[in-house]
Amino acid sequence: MTGPALDDALRTGSAMKLAVRLERGAFRLDVDLAWNERVAVIFGPSGSGKSTLLEAALGLHPSASCQVRLGGQWLEDPDRGVRVAIEDRRLGWVPQSPTLFPHLDVDANLRFGLARGEAEALDRAVEVLELGELLRRRVDALSGGEQQRVAIGRALASGPRALLLDEPLASLDLGLRARVLRYLLRVRDELDVPILAITHDPDEALLLAERVIVLDGGREVASGAPADVLWSRAVLPVSEALGLENVYEGQVTGGGESPPGFRSDAGLTLALPVEASRGERICVGVRAEDIVLAVDPPGRISARNVVPARIARCERTGADVFVHLVTDAGGEALVAKITATAADKLGLCADMALHAVIKAQSLRRIA
Amino acid sequence: MLSITLLTLRVGAVATLAILPFAIALAWALARGRLPARSLIRAFVALPMVLPPVAVGLALLWLLGRRGPLGPLWDGLGVDLVFTWWAAAIAAAVVGFPLLTRACEQAFADTDPRYEQVARTLGASRTSTFFRVTLPLARRGVLYGILLAFTRGLGEFGATTLVAGILPGRTETLALGIYSRVQLGDDAAALVLCGVSFAIGLAAMWAGERWLRREPS
Repeated sequence: MTGPALDDALRTGSAMKLAVRLERGAFRLDVDLAWNERVAVIFGPSGSGKSTLLEAALGLHPSASCQVRLGGQWLEDPDRGVRVAIEDRRLGWVPQSPTLFPHLDVDANLRFGLARGEAEALDRAVEVLELGELLRRRVDALSGGEQQRVAIGRALASGPRALLLDEPLASLDLGLRARVLRYLLRVRDELDVPILAITHDPDEALLLAERVIVLDGGREVASGAPADVLWSRAVLPVSEALGLENVYEGQVTGGGESPPGFRSDAGLTLALPVEASRGERICVGVRAEDIVLAVDPPGRISARNVVPARIARCERTGADVFVHLVTDAGGEALVAKITATAADKLGLCADMALHAVIKAQSLRRIA
Repeated sequence: MLSITLLTLRVGAVATLAILPFAIALAWALARGRLPARSLIRAFVALPMVLPPVAVGLALLWLLGRRGPLGPLWDGLGVDLVFTWWAAAIAAAVVGFPLLTRACEQAFADTDPRYEQVARTLGASRTSTFFRVTLPLARRGVLYGILLAFTRGLGEFGATTLVAGILPGRTETLALGIYSRVQLGDDAAALVLCGVSFAIGLAAMWAGERWLRREPS
């Protein structure tokens, strides 16, 4: 979004403008970002300046030259002589490590910012993040995932105008990541607070964001719809190295007599390798190189998922071809990575009908 | 003996309480603030720790006495501090100040500033953050400093003899009392006072240790 539409959104909505210039030794951060989506994710490898950018928005880098605007209000702008104090910005920050106050219990941590927030905000946070059971616990008796949930809850309970998440899952091991990611999706779906998250995890960016902004070496590299940006030629070297895959949000179907299946929100159905309870909302991922493409429908085959699809476009990078497909059922985007030789042999071209073959075993539950 | 003990405790307590806010403020500024010439300030604060106590006493005598540079001030206020228990408390405060400041500075420096930043983003002002987050997180170090300053004050001798003298019932603390009894050849009484010192010191440190142990970091 550009021009008058963005200006309008900046004046009224949850839109954010964030321009930061900062030099620290050899590192130079110089970005000028603006977006109107409620949930934006800044994606980039470590050392790309993401955390610094977030801290600058919070007012924690007095030496940075910053312009920060949220909705209709300038929080910082040297030209207008505006610099709102850290405590008056009302930005709910969840730093990379949860940083719960160790001298307070969970309840007191959640209530720390309550003077500013409203009891209602606290109740909602406790409900959405399912913190009720934890209230009387000491913070050092919490698991890493619970600490992260409390930290998110504490930020939400302070009644923030926006939630700023710094790598919310990075400090967690894989199992806990999936659980905390589910809670983040609940926060996204059940509350209407704008969210700005930073991450180097493509799954997280794809699932959470309405807009992804890619940062590398202190500069903006790309910005746009998550899948478009992360699968783009410019970003692919970075996003692939960080584990980019196809991700789908949906729920578990079947169960009981029939084997468990997965149905994405758009309507793509897949056989699942794991036991899961029917109706549960989950997210699954499958890597582009784990997808086999067949021009003719395969006959007897062990792979449990044969998904009819149509080619949207093919992108060649070196010896690889990324085949962008749209599934017939649900119209979900699906990207397969095959060798250029295979692509040539099959004579792939746009609009060609294909069968994407996905082993149930290569589906991974990510939330 | 009871009066000597009570006077000693009073001198130590008054001295420690009087320097506490200043020591905490200075320690905070040294640990987090952007003070110029920090090393010089630290060196200056440490002086009473490294000077011979008698030299500190002489300097205090000069400052507190009517013939010193502040003499007109004391005359104007109509107070005479020298050879009162106040002088003993001031001596204890001066020698305790570096210990308390050092311990507090270390405690503040060991506190992760990230907690303070989070508190600010949650709406707490600088002052509120200090009292709700920094001080509670640094409490172990601060308490340790209080114990050090208090017990150092209880045992102060060199500087105290010069500014407070050894006036039985007025300025005679345990340390001074032990010395004067030894001088008089009353070793038994000196040993009793010694035992009292021992008991107070042990009780103070033991209570502190217990509190520090009980509290998780």
